Amino acid sequence: MHEQTEDIWADRYDRQIRFAPIGAKGQARLANMRALIVGCGALGASLAQHLTRAGVGKVRIADRDFVEPSNLQRQMLFHEADALAVLPKAVAAAEKLRAINGSIEIEALVTDVNSMTITAAMENVDLVLDGTDNAATRLLLSEACFARNIPFIYGGVAGAEGMSAMLIPGQTACLRCLIGDEASVEEELNCDTAGVLSAAVDFIASLQAVEAIKWLSGNRNAVRKSWVVADLWRFSVREFTLPGCTPGCHICGGLADENIVQLNLPRSESIARSDVLAHREERKHRLQAGTDETPPAHAWSQTLAVALCGRDSVQVTLPRTFQLEQWQVVFERLGYEIKANRYLLKIGLPDGERLVLFPDGRVLVQGIIDADKALRICVRYLTDPLEMQAEEEART
Amino acid sequence: MKERAWSDFELYVITASTHHPGRELVDVMEQTLIGGAGMLQLRNKTGSREDVLREAAALRKLTRAYNVPFIVNDYVDIAIQVEADGVHIGQDDIPFEEARRLLGPDKLIGVSTHSLEQALKAERDGADYIGVGPVYPTNTKPGKAAVTTAYVTEAAAQIHIPFVAIGGITLDNADSVLEAGARRLCAVSAIVGSEDPAAVCRSFLNKIGQYSGYAPQSVTIMLNGEQRNTSARNLEELVRELGQSHKRMVAELDGVIVSRGMWRNTVIQPRADIELIQFVGGG
Repeated sequence: MHEQTEDIWADRYDRQIRFAPIGAKGQARLANMRALIVGCGALGASLAQHLTRAGVGKVRIADRDFVEPSNLQRQMLFHEADALAVLPKAVAAAEKLRAINGSIEIEALVTDVNSMTITAAMENVDLVLDGTDNAATRLLLSEACFARNIPFIYGGVAGAEGMSAMLIPGQTACLRCLIGDEASVEEELNCDTAGVLSAAVDFIASLQAVEAIKWLSGNRNAVRKSWVVADLWRFSVREFTLPGCTPGCHICGGLADENIVQLNLPRSESIARSDVLAHREERKHRLQAGTDETPPAHAWSQTLAVALCGRDSVQVTLPRTFQLEQWQVVFERLGYEIKANRYLLKIGLPDGERLVLFPDGRVLVQGIIDADKALRICVRYLTDPLEMQAEEEART
Repeated sequence: MKERAWSDFELYVITASTHHPGRELVDVMEQTLIGGAGMLQLRNKTGSREDVLREAAALRKLTRAYNVPFIVNDYVDIAIQVEADGVHIGQDDIPFEEARRLLGPDKLIGVSTHSLEQALKAERDGADYIGVGPVYPTNTKPGKAAVTTAYVTEAAAQIHIPFVAIGGITLDNADSVLEAGARRLCAVSAIVGSEDPAAVCRSFLNKIGQYSGYAPQSVTIMLNGEQRNTSARNLEELVRELGQSHKRMVAELDGVIVSRGMWRNTVIQPRADIELIQFVGGG
């Protein structure tokens, strides 16, 4: 039986192996490689599908969100049933990916990748693919990748446009050097402000996936060292050379190959190499220890509220965990509308907002963009269940 | 001397013997001239008149050999005696009119100013140049409140005679001062207090050159495939001119992406081919 099963799948990768640059050797390499895909929306689902079909040994997907009907137009791994069941995207995606290729390992992380969780998410991976929808997470990923000396493959899409670039420690500049890290800049173009066409997503995901396959199959010299900008509607595809590492940058500097550095800076600006390396080391330790704290936006100690721009929701991260069943009982008793599965609990509040609770202490407050208001809602509804019960009993 | 282009200087150096104990004044100052300093001032507030006269005579000889204007701080009589090119006076020193009367119309007179008001007065009085500072707190003149780069910007906008930014300027903060509009810098301890004054001078001149090389008037460039005139001197100014500073942008010049930190050092040349693209964040 087992023998027979193996025979059936013997040709699984045949057409990929026939592609000369991959060959049997490249295919074997892929089987030993591990990729992390952060964000499993439109880009992430497409990326995960490419890597899974290609036979990358271990595909880890991390996502903080759940499937909604508005995702189905472009997020290729999700079905109507997933939206109806409000499944976390990572879980719904993993299920499909396992059905596509049972011979590799698929790992789903239902989590927000931030400075506290990035260490676990990036453990034992050979590269990171970008399926996120915001610059802040991308900057964090870029920095973490450079600290670990692994590539970060950026992709972004909005409307019928997109961009992609593979950032490689020691060879290219980091994302921060390319786009800056000012916190107050206007939100970049995204799917909520500009809409998005599914075909544009796949175009950009393909640009990312092919570079990942090159790198992971051992074809490192074949990687494209450029930033590609594409507009599929007007049709234009432009390619720009990526600058090398920036001397003095605490993220990508100090790793520079002398040949790549073309900048002719006055002496004072070329910070001593050892300083840069020392800073990088320190930063790396902090990142690895998970102690690289993002300052909380609000005084409510250890609580982080992040408005998910254009999404009409705020993500609140509480310094606690949730026993979902317990909370389900509480809100059912209050007569609120509930959607529940083993990964999350969605509650319709009387004023129209929705709370989505995850066991790790995260809450998505939907129907609101004001972080302070979201926090107040959390304080109001998510104090201890026993207190709420007591309050409820006192009222009745 | 005034007929010559004395005002071409970009780096002004001032003596401060206490910053180089064990090294001869003339040796240290010669290093600054080797490094390209374009104006040299003798400032000795503590020595006896004889000391100052001796130093002035030596530096006059040195600066003549390098064909660099020589200025004496405060001592109008010594300036006349050693045939210096001029004097530099502070707000509390000899009145400008008196200095001019003693020196005659052809000698240079520089005036230290600490506010736009003082600068405008010095300009009206007929000063040849002014000092603008202290831009940053300085040990050379302790206890004097820094005027910050805001005053440099005011001076750049309203003063027509040469002005020299001074006070706590080092290679680390020179960019900010130049960005504020200064085109002539003066550093004291950063230069004469260093092990290698010539190298520091060269680094300063390098920096100044990055700013003073800018085309003064508008140039025609290709921006996102279309011709456009701009008076922006660097990429950062161009992005600002286009009203895009608040957006996350990727900038590319002649086919190569320019790192965000290099925007302000990237000079806009005529016919530059520039693409400014808003970062795409969706996923």
